Amino acid sequence: MKSLYSRRDFLAKLGISAAAANLVLNLPSLGWASESLRKKRMIFVFSPNGVIPDHFWPDEAGALGDLKRILKPLDPFKSQTLTLHGVCNKIKGDGDGHMRGIGCLLTGIELFPGDVQGGSDTPAGWSQGISLDQYLKNKFQENPETQTRFGSLEFGLMVPDRADTWTRLSYAGPNQPVAPIDDPYQMFDRLYGQTKNRELLASVLDDLSEDFRKVEKMISAEDRRMLEEHVSMVRQVEKELKSELKRSKEKADIGHAVPNLPANVEDKNDNMPEVSRMQIELLVNSFAADFARIATYQITNSVGGAKMKWLDIDEGHHELSHEPDTNEGAYEKLIKINTWYCEQVALLAKRLSETPEPGGEGSLLDNTTIVWTNELGKGNSHTRDDIPFVLVGGGIGFQTGRAMKFDNVSHNRLLMSLAEAMGHPQASFGNPDYCGDGALTGLSG
Amino acid sequence: MYAPCCLTLKALMKPELCSPRRKRSPAICWGIASALSLVLITKASFAQDAPRSAEDEMLRRGAEIYKVSCVSCHGDKGQGVEGAYPDPLVGDSTTGELASLITDTMPEEDPESCVGEDAEAVAAYVHYAFYSEAAQIRNRPPRITLARLTAEQLRQSISDLYARLDGVSNGDQEHGLSAIYFKGDGWNDEKKAIERKDPVIDFDFGMDGPGEGIEGNDFYIHWSGAILVPQSGRYEFVVRSSSAFKLEFGNDGRVLIDNGIQSGDQTEFRKAIHLTGGRIYPVKLEMFQRKRKNDQPPASIHLAWVPPGGTEHTVPSDNLLSDWNPAAFSLQTKLPADDRSYGYERGTAINRDWDESTTAAALEFAEIATSEMWPRYRRQHKDDSDENRARLKAFLSDIIQVAFRGELDESTRKVYIDEQVNASPDDGEAIKRVLLISLKSPRFLYPQLDSDRSASMRSANRLALTLFDSLPSDQWLIDRARGGHLSSEDEIRQAATQMVTDPRVRSKTMGMLHEWLNLSHMADITKDAETFPGFEPALVNDLRLSLNKFLNEVVWSEPSDFRQLLQAKWTITSDRLAEFYGDTWKPLDGEHGQLKRSVDDAAHRHGVLTHPLLMSGFSYHQTTSPIHRGVFLIRNILGRTLRPPNAAFSPLSPDLHPDLTTRERVSLQTSPESCQVCHAKINGLGFAFENFDAVGRYRDTERNKPIDAAGSYLSRLGEEISFQNASELADYLVSSDDCHRAFVDRAFKHFVKQPIAAYGADRLDQLTQKFKDSGYNIRNLLVEIAVIAATQDQAQSRQDT
Repeated sequence: MKSLYSRRDFLAKLGISAAAANLVLNLPSLGWASESLRKKRMIFVFSPNGVIPDHFWPDEAGALGDLKRILKPLDPFKSQTLTLHGVCNKIKGDGDGHMRGIGCLLTGIELFPGDVQGGSDTPAGWSQGISLDQYLKNKFQENPETQTRFGSLEFGLMVPDRADTWTRLSYAGPNQPVAPIDDPYQMFDRLYGQTKNRELLASVLDDLSEDFRKVEKMISAEDRRMLEEHVSMVRQVEKELKSELKRSKEKADIGHAVPNLPANVEDKNDNMPEVSRMQIELLVNSFAADFARIATYQITNSVGGAKMKWLDIDEGHHELSHEPDTNEGAYEKLIKINTWYCEQVALLAKRLSETPEPGGEGSLLDNTTIVWTNELGKGNSHTRDDIPFVLVGGGIGFQTGRAMKFDNVSHNRLLMSLAEAMGHPQASFGNPDYCGDGALTGLSG
Repeated sequence: MYAPCCLTLKALMKPELCSPRRKRSPAICWGIASALSLVLITKASFAQDAPRSAEDEMLRRGAEIYKVSCVSCHGDKGQGVEGAYPDPLVGDSTTGELASLITDTMPEEDPESCVGEDAEAVAAYVHYAFYSEAAQIRNRPPRITLARLTAEQLRQSISDLYARLDGVSNGDQEHGLSAIYFKGDGWNDEKKAIERKDPVIDFDFGMDGPGEGIEGNDFYIHWSGAILVPQSGRYEFVVRSSSAFKLEFGNDGRVLIDNGIQSGDQTEFRKAIHLTGGRIYPVKLEMFQRKRKNDQPPASIHLAWVPPGGTEHTVPSDNLLSDWNPAAFSLQTKLPADDRSYGYERGTAINRDWDESTTAAALEFAEIATSEMWPRYRRQHKDDSDENRARLKAFLSDIIQVAFRGELDESTRKVYIDEQVNASPDDGEAIKRVLLISLKSPRFLYPQLDSDRSASMRSANRLALTLFDSLPSDQWLIDRARGGHLSSEDEIRQAATQMVTDPRVRSKTMGMLHEWLNLSHMADITKDAETFPGFEPALVNDLRLSLNKFLNEVVWSEPSDFRQLLQAKWTITSDRLAEFYGDTWKPLDGEHGQLKRSVDDAAHRHGVLTHPLLMSGFSYHQTTSPIHRGVFLIRNILGRTLRPPNAAFSPLSPDLHPDLTTRERVSLQTSPESCQVCHAKINGLGFAFENFDAVGRYRDTERNKPIDAAGSYLSRLGEEISFQNASELADYLVSSDDCHRAFVDRAFKHFVKQPIAAYGADRLDQLTQKFKDSGYNIRNLLVEIAVIAATQDQAQSRQDT
């Protein structure tokens, strides 16, 4: 799917990195029309409490062989998958491991001092900086070519209804956490509410103007004029609405179709699989309609305690994640739980791959990179080394279909690579102290 | 000359009278123009039936002269002639005043040609045929006209639809918020340390903690109660705290400001919200001081607000209530402003802007109905049969019956509920559909469309509309209407009496009093800082609070005596006010709190008349403005209306006339005959307050000259009244028929939003008499107004159908 002679190739031949080129040469991006016309999209998927590394990471760097149990659902997308082992969240400062795990994950910077006391360490508040998704959104929204209606969308799945460091992944700036929307009906309203409301309005106005006729009889001839004026306005609105809706239906291609959600699905633990399907459907539809090119999908929260009864697991995820590896029952359950998260990533990839790129070649997945990540490397050790980073999709020039191993690099450098690959390189992202060695190399092959 | 004086003066006048007019000479003006609404005057016509009785001859003679000498400029019915004298001849001057004006100035080409008895005859004819208020009513009897809900009525009605959830509270409870202080950073019954009422939320606990036995670094405070919102508008809440806190507003779980965790050095949190007046919103404020392993900032918390038109201050104790109160909802949708050209809001404009706002309002309400009302209803009725979605339909029909002000017949139920629910398998969408069609229906938007309802239901509808600007939603009122117990005048009066102390009425009354005192049009008051050091925004804010509380105390005290408004020797004071205004603003012994009753000032205080908010509002930056004060008295207090000034003038500069007092300067500037037509009336009233300077402080001298506060007034009936000072003027006003009528008329228009003459040509006289007979009881007046609206309107609607 890569264009034959991309800007990156050009720069590579010149012997400078894209970031340096932009900074040093201040090259106009319009010079590479084919690349700038092609849409780039990114989705950050978060799942909590670390993984079981032995059943997650490929054993060797290089071309992806048989995937381990947890990653198995990604089999159909193996050629578009890239695993990045050895990337570590090294941010220190206030906050316990879980708080820094989620709060510094996409921001790459410390938490403010604050009053939220975790299980260990000092108390903390919100993140001190913007998260990568919001940074990319802002960059995209500044440019008319990449600007979209929403810029970014923040999806959630069973995120507890409380605002604290453990429940926020995305930040619009220092002290500005962005709340994910975990109710698909609420997300639907945000995306299609106006259209839907206009449809509803159009469909009730006919009945309404009928009723005006009955009501008119109740008043004197002198007063009737006002009602007549009113009802003729209602008829006019109805007429205009109908032709507006007709026009937009005619225009509508697959990307603009309003998805149908199942009715009356309650947002509760046991409905997670159903709600997740709904959220993924909305996400894919919103990308197809180009409502946004950046999204986050936050599955529960840091320390998330989903009870996956549909997998015959009655305990909450977080409490299981503390069990030692020797607890075989818990170990097995944790593999299953993480596999379920992977299934959500795979479903997202599948739906993207089934949706043709509007006005372009290939599928949405060919131009979308899913970045699946986690607050911890491993649950029972609370380590933030070897943070799971699994990329699925294409369009940003990374060489996929392989496993990469890094040697304990700071995750800020990956955030820089992602920013750069999305066309907006930065000299540093988050705390510059962790960015000294620049963006990670070798991702593009 | 561009002139601030009369531009600012214009702000006191009705907008439709403010445009610069073409005129041939200043002398043409007829002095005082009509105080009454233009609806009555535009098509005034000479009654075809000839006048009877002894004055016949005079009127006949006047008519003949008018036909010959006046018609070319004034039109055959006094309607005016474009290009000559375009304005209608209408007003409230006496025949005598008209006669002398004609003698002096008319006809313009030859004033000598119509004098003496001729002038008197023309004056009598003009007065009788179209000029006087009586003539206007006779020529074009006003009727009760159809109107849609005003913006305020729509807000109030939707608040009351939401109130089907829990009802409304009457607010009759102790002020302040209920506080529970805990050791440890959360609710724990075992660790309750203090329970008390806190009058306001303004605490600086430092490192010591909020009380004995509570560690300063580890506690939790739970404040609960409600906020009483005095008037509709935008309120900005400001919470300052160095600790984590959470402010819930309107309902359990509806978070207005969430600072559930403290982070960095952010300590100020603001949130604006549109609130509906006369409503009580439950609040919960929780403060969390969490123990930390590292440095802990000192703890403080402060709850303030910026009310509409005001400046930021601590939410006063008077607006805090300490008990449980039902959930409340306030519409956030922006609604277009209503026509106010008649002196009260009227729902007459039918346009796309308004139509779109009703759609947005319906959708907004549908959202809260889906998220808060429906889940509750479902829980409460979980044992009811749900065959064919009966539960959802029952839930919706309860709301729609209230919205449509009466029970639903089969066909209405089918259109508005059954068909809509059947069209949407999703409950949320069904609710949206039903509310969209219903809240855009004429059955909701036009409260008078209820002739198919029972007499009792119609009475309830008028009572709620008049007193609450809303619809019957309180269960007792609906029950009484459904039971047919609101058909006799006594039953109606009894219900109105029960309703009149409701906070919704208090809010509407405050709106009326603000109009009466012109406060709703008064811009920010600022004064020259060198001349009046200390007259700062915070002081003006206290003056506003003082006046509002004074008004409330007079109106809602047992006697509810109108005369107190003009005569009370006490006021409401604060420490800041006492410091600025001196000993007469000291609080009474034993009074405490932020706002307190003051000591009496028998010599110089006369209710609202001398209140510094008005005195400073009707003043310039450095000097008083007897003209603003006089215009206010004539128009608002005495109910007379002035025509606009001949041109815009700027006031003579005090600096150019260093040896003149304000009175002397104003007299000098308004001395030309053309000015005197009106200023003879304005100045005489305005001068009476010269003892009160530009910030409302009492003074005996100005520029080392003694104050001359003598003045005079010519009443509607032609009595000449003179007074030596504000005190004598106040004495006159409390006994003045003009003053009483003006108040009664304003109250009627404000509450009913129809002209009182539509309820009978002599209604105003009757009601004014009743007002006097009741000992000028304001509450009683409101009840009688509601009774008239509830009985008379029905009589007309029966006739119409």
